[in-house]
Amino acid sequence: MVNDRGQLYTIEGIAAALIMLFSAYLVLSATSVYTPGDTHISDMQLEQLGTDALRMMNTPINSSSSASPLQDILYYNGVQGEFNGAGFNTIFLNYVNNETGSKIDNAPNGLHYNATVSYYDIANETTGTLPFYANSNLTGGEHPVRVTEWVIVNKTFPGGGGTDVKPRAVLVEVLLWRD
Amino acid sequence: MAGLNDDAQWIVLMGFVVSFSLFFLAMLLNQSTLVGQTTAEGVLDFPKNDIRDVKDVIIASSQYSGDPSKFAIIQEDITALALSRKEAVVTYSLVTTPTSTDSHTRISIHYNNGVTEYNEYWTSL
Repeated sequence: MVNDRGQLYTIEGIAAALIMLFSAYLVLSATSVYTPGDTHISDMQLEQLGTDALRMMNTPINSSSSASPLQDILYYNGVQGEFNGAGFNTIFLNYVNNETGSKIDNAPNGLHYNATVSYYDIANETTGTLPFYANSNLTGGEHPVRVTEWVIVNKTFPGGGGTDVKPRAVLVEVLLWRD
Repeated sequence: MAGLNDDAQWIVLMGFVVSFSLFFLAMLLNQSTLVGQTTAEGVLDFPKNDIRDVKDVIIASSQYSGDPSKFAIIQEDITALALSRKEAVVTYSLVTTPTSTDSHTRISIHYNNGVTEYNEYWTSL
């Protein structure tokens, strides 16, 4: 008769191994590693933030005002090729840095942007892009997202657009990044 | 196995069954993250904000529907800028303008960025 007391130890050993494997699996799966392929998650958040800020700016403040703040900023008393960039800077940074609770001023999130305005040059049949405002320069190392907003503004634009003032549709483009 | 006590074999067998089922569950869990990621990417690919924006500006331009020259300039701006700056084909046309019997403005909107195509027949309130 062979002594079979070792069987109990074997079962115990297997059970212990299973428990250890399972806990190791739980621990490893509880954390996720942020790989370069996952940057689209934070990109999406930044894109939504920028889009929302621009949409808010392109909405009239109340029912009695016919133009939105963004339309007023672009109109800038009808000066051709120029916009109220400083005014855009104030409102845009205020919106994208908005947060609950107490707030530290001057871009606490390290959000930077570079805004331009694209318009259609009717006579030359090309699109032109004018500088709008930037609170930081692009050096090439950044990883920006691009957000846009269509605006109808009642002024003339450079190129062969004619001299009589007519409502035009322009595209405000903002490159937004965080560092 | 003559003379051996084989009571424990059942316990070992059950242990194997449990461990295999655990493996199976772990694989399911692993696949679920992959599925979630592709779904999220599918949502990202859909140009929700682009369509909404272009629709809004077209609707805003309908206030000039009474003046064909103003309306046509905005139409040209939107089509040209959407193609060169947003990589999307956007065309729209005024179907009806308000008359004394029918106060509605109707615009048919077409958007296509190569991946997503969107058509809308918009009627004003």
